[in-house]
Amino acid sequence: MRGSVAAVGASTMAAARDAGGIAVLALEVARSLVPPTLDGRELVRNLYKMGYRSLPIVTMTALFVGALMVIQFSSFVQQYGARGLVGWGTGYAVLREVGPLMIGLMFSGRVGANNAAELATMTVTDQIDGLQALSIDPIRYLIVPRVLAMMITLVVMTMVGDAVAILGVMLASQALLDIHPLTIWYSLVDNIGAADFLHGMGKALVFGTAIAVSSCYFGLTVKGGAIGVGRAVNAAVVSAAVSICFLDFLMTYLTS
Amino acid sequence: MEALAIELVGVGKRFGARTVLAGVDLRVPRGGRLGVIGPATAGKSVLLKIIAGLHHPEAGLVRVAGRIGMLFQNCALFDFLNVADNVAFPLVHEGGVPDHEIAARVTARLRAVGLAGSEHKLPAELSGGMKKRVGLARATVASPDVVLYDEPTAGLDPVTTAKIYQLLCADHDASGGTAVVVSSDVEAVAAFADTIAFVDSGGVRWVGPAAELCDADDDVVRGFARGTP
Amino acid sequence: MSRTPIQHPGQVRRAVTAVGSRTLEAAAAAAELGTVAAQATSGAVFGYWRGKRPRGGIARQMYYVGNRSLLFVLVTLGFVGMVMVYQTCLLTTKVVDGRNQVGAQWIRLLVLDVGPSLTAMMLATRVGAGIAAEIGSMKVTEQLDALRMSGVTPVRYLIVPRFLACVVMTVVLTMFGVASSWAAGGLTGYYSFQINPRIFFDLSMVAPAHVVVGVIKAAAFGAAIPIVSGFCGLRARGSSEGVGAATTAAVIGSSFAVIVLDLVISFVAMTAFGAG
Repeated sequence: MRGSVAAVGASTMAAARDAGGIAVLALEVARSLVPPTLDGRELVRNLYKMGYRSLPIVTMTALFVGALMVIQFSSFVQQYGARGLVGWGTGYAVLREVGPLMIGLMFSGRVGANNAAELATMTVTDQIDGLQALSIDPIRYLIVPRVLAMMITLVVMTMVGDAVAILGVMLASQALLDIHPLTIWYSLVDNIGAADFLHGMGKALVFGTAIAVSSCYFGLTVKGGAIGVGRAVNAAVVSAAVSICFLDFLMTYLTS
Repeated sequence: MEALAIELVGVGKRFGARTVLAGVDLRVPRGGRLGVIGPATAGKSVLLKIIAGLHHPEAGLVRVAGRIGMLFQNCALFDFLNVADNVAFPLVHEGGVPDHEIAARVTARLRAVGLAGSEHKLPAELSGGMKKRVGLARATVASPDVVLYDEPTAGLDPVTTAKIYQLLCADHDASGGTAVVVSSDVEAVAAFADTIAFVDSGGVRWVGPAAELCDADDDVVRGFARGTP
Repeated sequence: MSRTPIQHPGQVRRAVTAVGSRTLEAAAAAAELGTVAAQATSGAVFGYWRGKRPRGGIARQMYYVGNRSLLFVLVTLGFVGMVMVYQTCLLTTKVVDGRNQVGAQWIRLLVLDVGPSLTAMMLATRVGAGIAAEIGSMKVTEQLDALRMSGVTPVRYLIVPRFLACVVMTVVLTMFGVASSWAAGGLTGYYSFQINPRIFFDLSMVAPAHVVVGVIKAAAFGAAIPIVSGFCGLRARGSSEGVGAATTAAVIGSSFAVIVLDLVISFVAMTAFGAG
């Protein structure tokens, strides 16, 4: 009994320490940006690498998610004959919720995990200390370009993903419910405004920041060699998933 | 004609576009002790894994008489099992060995390698030399006819190296089994083995009695054995 | 001098060769994945109970998959429940007041789709990464070769216990996830939109067929995660970097498998008995 209480306490303390560490790292990144000095080449390199790497998985995910939305919506259509509402309903869900959420989760698995593994390997092989020995600030040189690149990439990927998901909706409703793509399109543009789109983009920006900062944090604070690298990757992906779900709620609640 | 324990004829192995071994011929008589030396990335470990049946060659013939035990380069101890369960593993999965006999043989093997009393430790708690000894015990516990050793002393200090080779000698004197040792420690392996094979860039360059290694008729082999480039 | 393809026939040939070898590699990988899946499934159904097997293997894996992921699943699914109910209420109050339908529709969607698929997505990140890291590090430290030297198949010894544990625990965790998400949604509905809990917690839209589809989905996702992640671990090459790459591939691969399977099962369910 006492042991389990102690274990709960210890894991709570560890979670609190990690949350604090992530917040401190976010502040350090923000402070490094105040006089906006930035290694432009490093930023472009990261943008290319992250965007190029995640484009196939994002488009595939979005296409399937779009089709899935139609299947889930089809019972309403059969029940109420609400064919004109398919575009509106699925579009609303994709742009505001499902798009940012699913693409954020996939992005975290692809890019966030990779970033954590890369930084963790650099940390356990003393490359970060090597940078500091050359009096190069690792935050400014390594972290800031990565954080910015992830924020930008996730927003762009969410735009691409939204477009592909709506394409998936059109294809699936044509194939399954025999609704013409134009019906979907008009139902979408008539009922959905810029606010819904921007709501989703805001979420993507926030999720991107959360994925970036937490994966950098776990990459930099890794301990204990190769096994530690694996643990850091796992911690980064899990904490990103929790923060995405939590921030999703917060954003929805605050912006409406 | 003496009975052969291991016979390789024209063995070739490729990984993708990279040829690792080509046209390797090798014969080890029953009870023989073969030392395999050569520069890094010459294909020594691959050769050993082909004999063990872990890699399948694209060309040639591999014949091994009897059962095989193997000591891996980094010991490859199962990190979720303790020392005793690691050593017992080959016996347990061979099937048909009663539990009390498994326990008796594990205890005997661990005593032979000087690790009595460490049965319940996990591999993470052991030093490099101790891990090697557990690996040795696991490789030989099922009394195999052929034992393969991949770098049995890599990363160990000279005193521990000498102890490991003493154990190898004692084991093979007692069992009369065949041994193949891949090692970078030329002096120690030449003292243990009766025959040495020098492997270089995917082929066997020289085979001869261990005693003649330092006076080999091949410049490269002689230089490698004497440590002079 | 202008560079045209005709002056460089080697370039074309190289490009064709590259495409060809990529295709061959992908086909070989697919065949290997299929083999792992077949071995794991047949091992779980027929082979596992015969002969020697790791002592307490399944129980330990169940603890790792189930107990260690419970809080994670409860928290994430809870937040998703709050968001989804909030959004749906915003949407329905715009046209006609359909608030009273929200609870019944939400539990139907949870059971049919969101519960199994989101729970499995969460497990793909946590459990999938763990399996790939564990098996991948065994691969690069030659422990898999040591298993095979004793005549033990890595798939049967390592993946089958994880497979069984994952199938059972994904179904169980999905139930917890659905409960958490439904309860969190009910609270949101009550505090933000004054929906009476008695109206919200309404099971009339959930048919037994829906529950069957949900359980089948959860079991299928639970089977896919250890197969895809174990496959990624078995393919790990090199040293710690190889293990890292296998881990990321496992997270992405098993999440993607969940999405594809979700679509396939939903489609089959919809066409077969209109429960999609």
